[in-house]
Amino acid sequence: MTEGRLQVDGHAQPEVLDQVHTELEQLWETTGDVSMRDRMRFEMGLMEIVGNVVEHAYRLDQGSAARVLSVSVTVTDSEVRGVLADNGLPVEVDLGDVTLPDPEAESGRGLAMALASLDHLEHARVAGCNRWTLVCERSAP
Amino acid sequence: MMELDVRTDERGVGVVVPRGRLNMVSARSLRDALDTLVNDGTHRIVVDLAETTFMDSSGLGALIAGLKTARQAGGDLRIARPTPAVTTVFELTNLDKVLRPRESAEAAFDD
Repeated sequence: MTEGRLQVDGHAQPEVLDQVHTELEQLWETTGDVSMRDRMRFEMGLMEIVGNVVEHAYRLDQGSAARVLSVSVTVTDSEVRGVLADNGLPVEVDLGDVTLPDPEAESGRGLAMALASLDHLEHARVAGCNRWTLVCERSAP
Repeated sequence: MMELDVRTDERGVGVVVPRGRLNMVSARSLRDALDTLVNDGTHRIVVDLAETTFMDSSGLGALIAGLKTARQAGGDLRIARPTPAVTTVFELTNLDKVLRPRESAEAAFDD
């Protein structure tokens, strides 16, 4: 049974990060019984992937105004599921090859953090869009 | 959505307090603030994370950059009072050994 849902559509620009984050905090308020641990895990994974999309929009598309990002999150009694779609250039992602960088590295930890915090993370190219699927299986409250 | 307080205490230690979310947007401000402190001669810095509700990999990157800059200048950067969400990020990335959390900003440079 679906307990709550959020949908954010916007340009893949840094401002969308706070927009998604605020909506997610409101979603936790309305669903209420998602444990703090599961909230933190999902939040970490989702914000890293949104950040990844925004960062690549800048780097690859030479101006991110044309890149549109759609984020949806659904909470059921068994899981929290996020789906992100963007119309940007194809991203080559090999999630099987993601590791944490050297402790002194200043970047490159985002995907490793998302993988570690979520129970399932998948990237696919679907109908000209990059599509990310994120799942956090809910622990007992 | 982050506010950043920066001050230098009576011992000459720079105290930086990020309030709110430390994400890709606000990490730039933190990085700049840490750079400015070191460039202006404050080489010992403590980042008080008691009011940092969230930190992503960009925020972590800004702290690592600040740590390197401070050490290159002969000083150090330490962190104090991380919230549970921020502690999880340090533990998950094995950086809790590099940036060991201290109990308070005041005591961060006692050892």
